[in-house]
Amino acid sequence: MAISKAEIEKLAKLAKLSFSDEELERFTAEFDEIIAFADTINQSIEGGTEQIRSVGARMVSFDDLRPDEVMPSLPNEKILSNVEGYNGFFSVERSKK
Amino acid sequence: MRAGISELAIKLRNREISAVELTKAYIDAIEKLNPTLNAYVHLTFDIALKAAEQADQMLKEGDAPPLCGIPMALKDNICTDGLPTTCCSRILTGFKPYYDATVWEKLKKQGAVLLGKTNMDEFAMGSTSETSCYGAPLNPRNTNYVTGGSSGGSAAAVCANLAVYSLGSDTGGSIRQPASFCGVVGLKPTYGAVSRYGLIAYGSSLDQIGPLTNSVKDAAIVFDAVRGGDKRDQTSVDYDYGPSLTQCLEQDVKGLRIGVAEEFFEGINPEIKSKIEEAIALLEKNGAKIEHIRLPALKLALPVYYIIACAEASSNLGRYDGIRYGYRTASYTSIEEMIVKTRSEGFGDEVKRRIMLGTYVLSSGYYDAYYKKACLIREEINREFDAVFETCDVLVAPTAPNTAFPLNYKGASPVEIYLSDICTVPVNIAGVPAISVPCGVDAKGLPIGMQIIGKKFDEATVLQVAHFYEQSAGEVIGAYEGGAGI
Repeated sequence: MAISKAEIEKLAKLAKLSFSDEELERFTAEFDEIIAFADTINQSIEGGTEQIRSVGARMVSFDDLRPDEVMPSLPNEKILSNVEGYNGFFSVERSKK
Repeated sequence: MRAGISELAIKLRNREISAVELTKAYIDAIEKLNPTLNAYVHLTFDIALKAAEQADQMLKEGDAPPLCGIPMALKDNICTDGLPTTCCSRILTGFKPYYDATVWEKLKKQGAVLLGKTNMDEFAMGSTSETSCYGAPLNPRNTNYVTGGSSGGSAAAVCANLAVYSLGSDTGGSIRQPASFCGVVGLKPTYGAVSRYGLIAYGSSLDQIGPLTNSVKDAAIVFDAVRGGDKRDQTSVDYDYGPSLTQCLEQDVKGLRIGVAEEFFEGINPEIKSKIEEAIALLEKNGAKIEHIRLPALKLALPVYYIIACAEASSNLGRYDGIRYGYRTASYTSIEEMIVKTRSEGFGDEVKRRIMLGTYVLSSGYYDAYYKKACLIREEINREFDAVFETCDVLVAPTAPNTAFPLNYKGASPVEIYLSDICTVPVNIAGVPAISVPCGVDAKGLPIGMQIIGKKFDEATVLQVAHFYEQSAGEVIGAYEGGAGI
């Protein structure tokens, strides 16, 4: 199944990525091969109709959750230690006046 | 012969060597070899020496745990409070987490000495470690070849004796395949056996942390130290393994039922196939019963893996927006533009490819055809594994269809590289444990790995068979000359 450049552009928008024209050409070609590879599952056994269960060794049901209690949280200064914060908030450049 | 964790623990307790002296020997070796091998991307020598001093104190006071004072390494996707953790991606440049991963918290309490963080494929996406933003680590066995991936730096550090052991993570083979390429031991535990809290997520239903070591016994010791349930990881399980998995190592393989599925051997390099067959013959000679079984759904495991892993990755990697940590683009005129530019400049090509595939299979119109179908086939694969383990105790298979690729191997398309995960991904899909142990070398002298796969939470039998093979086969691969020399 060939995928068009326009579809790749749409996907890039959904994924919040952008590509130059040259990258887009290359990605479209590679993506075709990757999709063809993923498509092999559709040429195979039909999936059943049963419910999909988690692969996790432990099944978590809603009855199994802890009570909704307020737990201690990390201090603000730690959370902001990786960026230049502003008055205890994450900050970005003003972009709209 | 290189000392294992138990031998080093005895030397430390007998005061033949102190933890500080041992750590210095590893630091010297890293300073000498790492500029070439690029196994470590962040070095933590000051912290290591302080930890070693504390370990010496713990040892003096007596009753120290087995890993106390032993120098080790962590893959760069395992969070370490206040120390760089970048997943070898530009988008996490300069990121220092503000909490410890549970595995690191546990090891720290046991007196572990962290030498540094190891190189890896960006966000653990790759099979060669060449997608790292720091450049590829080199295979210590032959520096013209890759280490494998994604835990390539962790495997290289253990292989070259630049760490006694390391932790890696395995989403589709990322512990076992580099262990195989570098000729070391790599254990992927049962999904849920080790807490993933603080492991930077790639494919959350597949990711699992495990040890890379120089012997099966060392793998058992490290697994004992990090396993267990954790309130902060709802998928973790507090399974009762007993006091120590090292206890199962002394048993032989008499009467054990070993399954061999022909699907694991299709398209395998003949040299690898013949080494695995020799290993199976050795196990049979020692009393194991060989069962030839079928796993027909295995042929679908690879596309199923890439659909599920990429779907989960596209969601997990949505958090990198340049606002809260890591890289942020230099100039932008709107928040949307800032996020798109940050992500486009910060992620490498392979990560972008997988985010795009994940976005595609989850998008309207394609969800049922790809993601839902992949989940249903995953169920089928699980059922086949469950059925096989009713008649077999373990399965034996190659770890990889090939030995290490040459560096910068240009001949391969992304899909050809994906095919190299064919023997390892079924294990992650089914959530079962598996180990890779060295079982020989090819004509170029590159290591070959054998995979032993067990049922959920039966690491004991996996380790038992691996240890028995390791001891009976003798030296199947030459010792690495160099490193810390201890």
